[in-house]
Amino acid sequence: MSRVGSMSKDSRQPRLRLRSAAAALGVTLAFLIVGAQLVRLAVRGQQELTTTMSQPVATSFARPDIVDRNGRLLATDLEVPSLYADPGLVLDRDEVAEKLGHLLTELDEAEVRRQLADRSRRFVWLRRGLPPALAQAVHDLGLPGLGFRRELKRVYPAGGLAGHALGTVNVDNKALAGLERHLDDVVGVEAVHGATLSDRAPLRTSLDLGVQHSLDDELRAAMRRYGAKGATGLVLDVETGEILAAQSLPGADPARAAESVDPARPDKLMGGVYELGSIMKMVTVAMALDGGRVKTDSVLDVREPLTAGRFTIRDPHPAGRPLTVSEIFVRSSNVGAGMLALEAGADRQKAFLTRLGLTAGMKTEAGPVAVPLVPDRWDRAETITISYGHGVAVSPLQFAAAAAALVNGGSRVQPTFLKQAKGGKQQPPAPNSQLISTETSRAMRALMRLNVTDPHGTGRRADAPGYRVGGKTGTAELPDRGGYKQTAVISSFLAAFPMDAPRYVVLVMLFEPKPVAETRGQVAAGANAAPTAGRLIARIAPMLGVLPQGAAQPLEDSKETGEPGVAAEAATNGQFDGGGDAKY
Amino acid sequence: MRTLIVSAAFLALASAFLLYGLNYDTRRIESSLHSLERSTEKAKSDIAILKAERAHLARPDRIEPLARAQGLVPAGPRQFAQSGDTDLFEDRDQVRPAAR
Repeated sequence: MSRVGSMSKDSRQPRLRLRSAAAALGVTLAFLIVGAQLVRLAVRGQQELTTTMSQPVATSFARPDIVDRNGRLLATDLEVPSLYADPGLVLDRDEVAEKLGHLLTELDEAEVRRQLADRSRRFVWLRRGLPPALAQAVHDLGLPGLGFRRELKRVYPAGGLAGHALGTVNVDNKALAGLERHLDDVVGVEAVHGATLSDRAPLRTSLDLGVQHSLDDELRAAMRRYGAKGATGLVLDVETGEILAAQSLPGADPARAAESVDPARPDKLMGGVYELGSIMKMVTVAMALDGGRVKTDSVLDVREPLTAGRFTIRDPHPAGRPLTVSEIFVRSSNVGAGMLALEAGADRQKAFLTRLGLTAGMKTEAGPVAVPLVPDRWDRAETITISYGHGVAVSPLQFAAAAAALVNGGSRVQPTFLKQAKGGKQQPPAPNSQLISTETSRAMRALMRLNVTDPHGTGRRADAPGYRVGGKTGTAELPDRGGYKQTAVISSFLAAFPMDAPRYVVLVMLFEPKPVAETRGQVAAGANAAPTAGRLIARIAPMLGVLPQGAAQPLEDSKETGEPGVAAEAATNGQFDGGGDAKY
Repeated sequence: MRTLIVSAAFLALASAFLLYGLNYDTRRIESSLHSLERSTEKAKSDIAILKAERAHLARPDRIEPLARAQGLVPAGPRQFAQSGDTDLFEDRDQVRPAAR
């Protein structure tokens, strides 16, 4: 006080002013800061409250749809509830296990008890992907500690159709095989928490649901009819290499991931290699004709059996007279094919097979195709046996692609599961894409047609009236330890239609068909695989817009929608709006 | 001096009210946006389910038996006609060409 009192009035006044000015400045600054903060909050908003979850949240994947060539749905994601438990909140784990066990039949009660026993855990999945009705039933139990989280689950509305080609996904919606794998690796899938559907455009495959079903149905019928253990088949566009249908039976349901790795359900079309038997004579004859030293009417003396080392190759049904090349093809003479191959020689044979892509592996969007088995030593014996389809094992898909090149005018065919842009080839013709001359291809078409129309032809039961089917039978004995089984065969038929300007190649293979009354005790392909292919072609040709004979070729733009084909498809498959682009 | 402080205080108060109002508006709009987004997602999910269900109901191995029960069979070669084949139409027993 004494200090203040001692101060003069003059000196106090400016100090007070300075102090009040400083206070005013401070307050103004404070207001400015508050105001700026308010403006910032109002403009930018609050940061989203991020909830950090203590439980491990499963990351799942949002996958684009897979549709067939007409836009019909093959695979899609659905939002489904998944059941989890918080063991710390569960009151009576025996009650939970028991009640859930009643509702969810596939649930392992002991496993649930074990999972709930560890109270330090806050999150355990009990069941991923429940049907909504079941989820409601679980909810209605009113058990504490149980909860649902919405997740994406892959579903396949078309059922098990083309299961091997589509592949499958695991419980986190991550692809395991097939076209699903292609989605992951090439198209892209998003990792999501919860259930956010993918925004990506659907993957448009080359498959045609109607054709696929027909193939599936005919193969199943053939397995029943001929008592076969398995079957496989495909329909391939000879120009674009698009696979319209591909099936291997017993099939794998994509909805059951275990089935796609089940050794009892192998993918015979792409995952296995087989000695294909006499359908390989197509390749042998094409090689001989393309070599230019024989023509279809050249005569070979096939009466004497061929010998190679300790083997003797003879014809099961010898004609007893010299045969022309076309007769060798039509009567499927082993001796004749062997002679044609010997005439060309092992080197040319190997080179020709390599040119057709039958000696090296191949890839499609559904994954790599099984690599062919070729002999290390390629001598006289191998040359002869390979000429009629033994000694080289190749996957059916790969052979069908080679056969497509033989009939389409000679250009290479790369099989694909994706729909190609309209208007023929996917790329400008690559170098070396011409595998055989167009003349040879024309001759092969005539031979294949002859094999169906000729009274001696092995494929005459494959004829589908009006659709000009041509093809080649093959009956391959299955290898057994130390030799071949006489009665266990793979009978196959490789067909193309319409033969005047082939558009599709159809391959049908039956594994170990039994001699039944209908085939008069035969297991040969002419008695089982050929009629199966014929029935299949009669069924799919109208869908594909192939007009029966006597009618003009369909117009170029009715090729896709194929007016008559669409009507027929609607009749066969109940496709209600079978237009070019059904939206489902 | 005094007027400046008073007016500043008023300004501050007024802007505070204004900004709080704006802030709450923003939050309200945001929450309605969220609920719209949720309902969009719900609708998308519903559409996905309906599409899957429709595809499942229209799957060929279900439709085929139904179609066959109706007497429908795959189209045969006789069911196609060209505009030149007029005799088809004179013969009433013949199946009419597939038409759409």
